[in-house]
Amino acid sequence: MTRPRIRVAALAVASASALLLTACAGTGEAAAGDGWQPDKPIEYIAPANTGGGWDTLARTSARVLEENDVINRPMRVVNKPGGGGAIGWAHVAGKEGDPHTLFVTSPPILLVPLAGESDFDHTDFTPIARLAGEPLAYLVRADSPLTTFADLVEEVRDDPGSLSVAGGSGPGSMDHVGLAGAVQAGGADPSTVRYVPFDGGGEAMTALLGGHVQAAVSGASEARALVASGDLRVLAISGDERVGTLPDTETLGEQGIDYVFEIWRGVMGAPGMTEEQVAYYEDAFAEMTELDAWKQETEKLGWVHDFAGSAEFGEFLDGQYEELSGILTDIGLKK
Amino acid sequence: MGSFRFSQRTVAVAVGVLAIAYTVEAFRIPEFTAVQVPVQSGTLPRGLGLMLLGLAVVLFFRRDGGAGPSPSPAPASVTASAPGEGDGSGAATTPEAPPAPGGRVPAPGRFRDVRLEVAALLGSICLYVALFEPLGFLLSTALYIAGMAWYLGLGRPWAGALTGAGVSLALHLGMSRGLDIALPTGPLPF
Amino acid sequence: METLHHIVYGFGVALTPQNLAFVFLGVLIGTVIGMLPGLGPMSAIALMIPIAFTLDPASAIIMLAGVYYGAIFGGSTSSILLNAPGVAGTVATSFDGYPLARRGQAGKALSVAAVASFAGGTVGVIGLMLVAPTLSALTVSFGPAEYFALMVLGLTAVVSLSGVDLTKGLISATVGVMIALVGIDSQTATLRFTFGSSELYEGVEFLIVALGVFALAEVFVMVTRRGAPAPDATVTSLRLSRRELRTIGGPTARGSVLGFFTGVLPGAGATVASFLSYAMEKRVARDGKTFGEGNIKGVAAPESANNGAAVGSFVPLMTLGVPGSGTTAILLGALLVLGVQPGPLMLDERPEIFWGLIASMYIGNLVLLILNLPLIPLFARVLRTPQALLLPLIVVFCVVGVYGQSFGVFDLWLLVGFGLLGFLMRTNGFPAAPLILGLILGGLMERSMRQALLISSGDFTVFVTKPISATLLALAALSLLAPLVGVWRRRRARALRGAAERAHDGARPGDARTGGTAGTTEEPGAGREPREGGNG
Repeated sequence: MTRPRIRVAALAVASASALLLTACAGTGEAAAGDGWQPDKPIEYIAPANTGGGWDTLARTSARVLEENDVINRPMRVVNKPGGGGAIGWAHVAGKEGDPHTLFVTSPPILLVPLAGESDFDHTDFTPIARLAGEPLAYLVRADSPLTTFADLVEEVRDDPGSLSVAGGSGPGSMDHVGLAGAVQAGGADPSTVRYVPFDGGGEAMTALLGGHVQAAVSGASEARALVASGDLRVLAISGDERVGTLPDTETLGEQGIDYVFEIWRGVMGAPGMTEEQVAYYEDAFAEMTELDAWKQETEKLGWVHDFAGSAEFGEFLDGQYEELSGILTDIGLKK
Repeated sequence: MGSFRFSQRTVAVAVGVLAIAYTVEAFRIPEFTAVQVPVQSGTLPRGLGLMLLGLAVVLFFRRDGGAGPSPSPAPASVTASAPGEGDGSGAATTPEAPPAPGGRVPAPGRFRDVRLEVAALLGSICLYVALFEPLGFLLSTALYIAGMAWYLGLGRPWAGALTGAGVSLALHLGMSRGLDIALPTGPLPF
Repeated sequence: METLHHIVYGFGVALTPQNLAFVFLGVLIGTVIGMLPGLGPMSAIALMIPIAFTLDPASAIIMLAGVYYGAIFGGSTSSILLNAPGVAGTVATSFDGYPLARRGQAGKALSVAAVASFAGGTVGVIGLMLVAPTLSALTVSFGPAEYFALMVLGLTAVVSLSGVDLTKGLISATVGVMIALVGIDSQTATLRFTFGSSELYEGVEFLIVALGVFALAEVFVMVTRRGAPAPDATVTSLRLSRRELRTIGGPTARGSVLGFFTGVLPGAGATVASFLSYAMEKRVARDGKTFGEGNIKGVAAPESANNGAAVGSFVPLMTLGVPGSGTTAILLGALLVLGVQPGPLMLDERPEIFWGLIASMYIGNLVLLILNLPLIPLFARVLRTPQALLLPLIVVFCVVGVYGQSFGVFDLWLLVGFGLLGFLMRTNGFPAAPLILGLILGGLMERSMRQALLISSGDFTVFVTKPISATLLALAALSLLAPLVGVWRRRRARALRGAAERAHDGARPGDARTGGTAGTTEEPGAGREPREGGNG
């Protein structure tokens, strides 16, 4: 299936601010030095519709890159929704060797292919950089008898199938895998947890508030309002260290459960990019994550700085693929 | 309009065939065994397929006339009146509009046979869709509007061309520049 | 008293010249974007976010809220004028709005929509101001079992949307639910009816079906209506008589309240509310039979309900920090980036945002009315476009709307397919409204049923042992049985009377008129038309 190229007009706001910035040029010139540089606008794909997590990542990073002149060509955000990402990935996969196509990504690039719902997986693309991450929060109502994640695991072990846990995404997706992996690491059979999929973390937390389920999984930042108000309590977070959004919450590791799950966010490119091309983008994104503008925006969104360059990101993806594949096999969802 | 009205039995058979195909496909949805689930993904589709089949049977065997299962000879006034044409929400009977005193407008299109007219419209839409990405939004839309306006007999041909160009340009600028929604550009540079 | 104090404070925030300007700007831009093909409140807000980022939080949320209700009103305009509902919440508006427009009463239909929207919005804001914290209890009391019951109640509207032919209505609704089930099953991640095409993994977009079976089908009908008079292009006065205002008073008041309370529930608030309100009014009204032919009550009911619901959806957002709809989800994202965390603490931590927003909603609703009433004649002129131009323009409108949301040609082919389906349904007497109802509610119904049963380990009694769910299911049963009993009684009465005084039958004033519209008596050619099927 060949799709003609689609070019987008640049963000009105971005171009306006770009104009402003050219007026006071000379800030941070292109990061790459003498190597390869893009010679036309970059098609920056969010494989989802406007308003979602990928779209936010794409538009936020494009704005920071352009406003601060980190990159010398405009970043044109193009939405390619459909198939949980598969439509967008197929589009990029067809652009072998094109150095002007990038896309934003996160764990579904591993999970969707593992579920047999995409013909392309992470090995079909060029890793550029991992930018940020965010842990999951395991939540209960304030009046719940459970106090740590180990209590939850114990409940699952003692009375398999008694505990309903709400999550904001479908079976075999991030929330489910992050829950199952932690339960398994705690020493219980993850397939006996009754995972109830809802449409988004908000709905999952509402169901928990109403007492329709006993626990819920959501992104740490989504939970912060109801945790701060005292309606919900966090058993643990899944990251390897504590986060600013929920500063008093212990990690799974602190509670003696050896498991880490991050909703990482990164950027990949079309297959077959050269080393110089990768190096250019790698440097640009590295520079971006050090900017105050980026730090401010991500802090508000609850994302934690977690940069990795192309090579490290690639290895990380391979490792994650193995790990998630194991968990999905254990809960019987691998295709 | 009558050309596209089929006998109730024909419609019933068509619905029945659809229902059978759907039900067969529904029974091919795999059972989900990894985790115990009380309601399978196939459960509701199977029920729906059988329900549609049942409805098709009812449609096939009941009296013709499109007026519900009522045995009454004058059914149109029983439950609710058939709404006037053009409401899209319950036109059980679709009468030709009565001739208005204010005179007739020229019939759109050029064919005698209404079936050809519908086919021509369908063909034009398909052509438009097929050319949407290769030609780009601007060109395909301008051509489509101008072409259709000419074909449907707009009094002033230049008005169609002008409207086509104006509307497509306004929509294109509004959507892609103002709102940052990408429309295909085709061979044009923007 | 405390509330009064707060709201005065709120007006202090909202009435600064700067914020007033942003309300105005938001409403204006929202209305324009909402009128564009396929762009509803959700896209309108998403597209305005970059601009909102440059403002201070209070002004930004005030402007975005203006965009929100502006876009809802804008959407109603295309429903009424072109039979092209861009968002699910305005589908019900087209049932009577479009027939009104075709009769040359587009101005009146739009005025009714504007007035009813204003009322719905205002009732909603009063509700939001007075009972928001209490209502969050209602929001959380709705779990999967309760949602299932609500969806079942909503689906009973199929009876009143089916018109004369319940069998065909049920077939439409069944097919609607079938379309809703296409894609990756949210509960088990199983693929259903995707036929190996990844474009179908996320299901069929509501917009494609709605534009296909309503707007595109209408284009096909237009070319077959040869020699028929064009729709009455004269735009009657947009002024509503005192009597008309009284007529829509009841439906508007009930719709506003119903809308607000339904909107408080996360999920399909506005859509469910507008359908329920329409079905309810059709049943309550003395002239319920003329719903679907261009009854202004049929415009007032869904319009007041969807605006009430739009405001209602702010309750979970503001009190729990939980978005109740796609639109409020985007608003939540915008607020976060602006450094505001909505939730239980917001009332204490950022009162200027909460109360400023409430005050700006009062103002925004007023601005919407003031802005739009004078513009209505302008909008209504769309209908004076010669048919040879209007026809391709509607096609373009549909194509752009679908492409702007999916960015792929695959969905355009689907659109054409649904257009053809809608046309064949129309010519063969299948109502399109139940199909849309099934499409919108069917998927939600299945999902909540399975969630409820998963939690209860397959125990079906959850639906009747929970009080809210049991009540809603009882209401659903009642609304199904009541009209059937009514039909049965009327039929009996008629049969008796028919036997006794057959000659008198056709002379009853009420039925004679509607019978005439149905094409059975007055018009010479029509006797052939409905029966023609018998030949083939």
